[in-house]
Amino acid sequence: MKLFDPTSKPVERAVVLAPRPASPRGLRIGLVDNTKFNSDTLLRKLADRLAARHHMTVSVTSRKRSPSHEVDEAGIAALRAQADLVISGIGD
Amino acid sequence: MSEIDEAADPAALIEAYYDAGWTDGLPVVPPSDASIAATLAAAGLQGHEVLGEIPGRNTEVVAEKAAINAVMAGCRPEYMPVVVAAVRSLCDPAFAYHGPASSTGGSAMALVVNGPICKRLGINSGNNLFGQGHRPNATIGRAVRLIMMNTMNTRPGFLDRATLGNPGKYSFCFAEHEDEHPWEPLHASRGLARHESAVTLIASNSLYQIYNQLAATPAPLLLCFADALGNMGSPNLKGFNQTLIVFAGEHADILKAARWSRGDVQQFLMEHTRRRLADFKRAARVPGAVAAADETTWRHVFERPDDILIVCAGGRAGSWSACLPGWGNKWTRAVTTRIDDVATPRGRQA
Repeated sequence: MKLFDPTSKPVERAVVLAPRPASPRGLRIGLVDNTKFNSDTLLRKLADRLAARHHMTVSVTSRKRSPSHEVDEAGIAALRAQADLVISGIGD
Repeated sequence: MSEIDEAADPAALIEAYYDAGWTDGLPVVPPSDASIAATLAAAGLQGHEVLGEIPGRNTEVVAEKAAINAVMAGCRPEYMPVVVAAVRSLCDPAFAYHGPASSTGGSAMALVVNGPICKRLGINSGNNLFGQGHRPNATIGRAVRLIMMNTMNTRPGFLDRATLGNPGKYSFCFAEHEDEHPWEPLHASRGLARHESAVTLIASNSLYQIYNQLAATPAPLLLCFADALGNMGSPNLKGFNQTLIVFAGEHADILKAARWSRGDVQQFLMEHTRRRLADFKRAARVPGAVAAADETTWRHVFERPDDILIVCAGGRAGSWSACLPGWGNKWTRAVTTRIDDVATPRGRQA
């Protein structure tokens, strides 16, 4: 009798990582607000500290439709065009 | 795959599925080549077909894997078209799988089945609707949960982060009682034809039963629902999300006798399910101090009447109905998918 594996592995897709900046100084920051409670507040305070410490500027903020949804295409395009560094990943 | 000598110990095969981490905690039915093939055939599927995908998770649900899980859950082959429709609902972008599947809220995937397939498969729509005793109810919902765990990586403690979960996460599937219904059945209210079969998926937090034995008219009866739906601990309270209500026999009869339409019921509940802003603030569901105006400022729980999904099902006797509060702040929407019922040619149309 055989065992039948009921599981699936994630589909592998090629991902090209953006080049890492050599220095944090003067980078343009993109923020991804996932709409969780206080997400925007926490992101803004983090951005303020980065600005003070490394002379960064917030160039774009993308607000997701909900925490369940991905950043939409327009948001991705804006982040890609206007940001050197993107901050995301706010939980409860 | 690996070889197990089940002839020496039939339980060894079941234990092997436990050891591999492939079960929901209950024993599974070990699949065979024949049972997998029969399950695929019953849904008119080839093993390699992709039933759906969750792009954000790089996840695809392939028919063969879905069939293996359906057999493991105890499904008969003819249940597979219902399982497939439920999987397609899970993968619909409107359902936004990641939230309801992974949230600390721990929602169950409630499946409401409509149409001719219900009677053919014997899906319970009557007494003990949410309880034990009916194979299709027990195994179709279980198959969907196993598919989530095994093919969509939605495992407790990993991508299922439920704080408490609820018993409906083992299985949650029932049919609507379409005979003597006060209105058109759920799937017809959502744009399908009555003669079609369909599954409606809604991410549901734990259900609670609503009792009222004295009400003889709709208004007092529905006030009980409005009060329950507006309780301060409800996750729904300020998110304008969907809710499923199940009216059982005696309560459905009251609405029918009074000739209230589905829209009348939805409108009444939308208008009466509300709380004062002061209540929200006292319970710290809204930040800030209570101001005088907050005592007379009302907030409604529902934004639109059709955010209240209504089903008639359950036993004929008894003064009970139920609310199944939806998960999330409109981040997910209930999805109705036509069942591609290969046993009836009409199921393939439209």
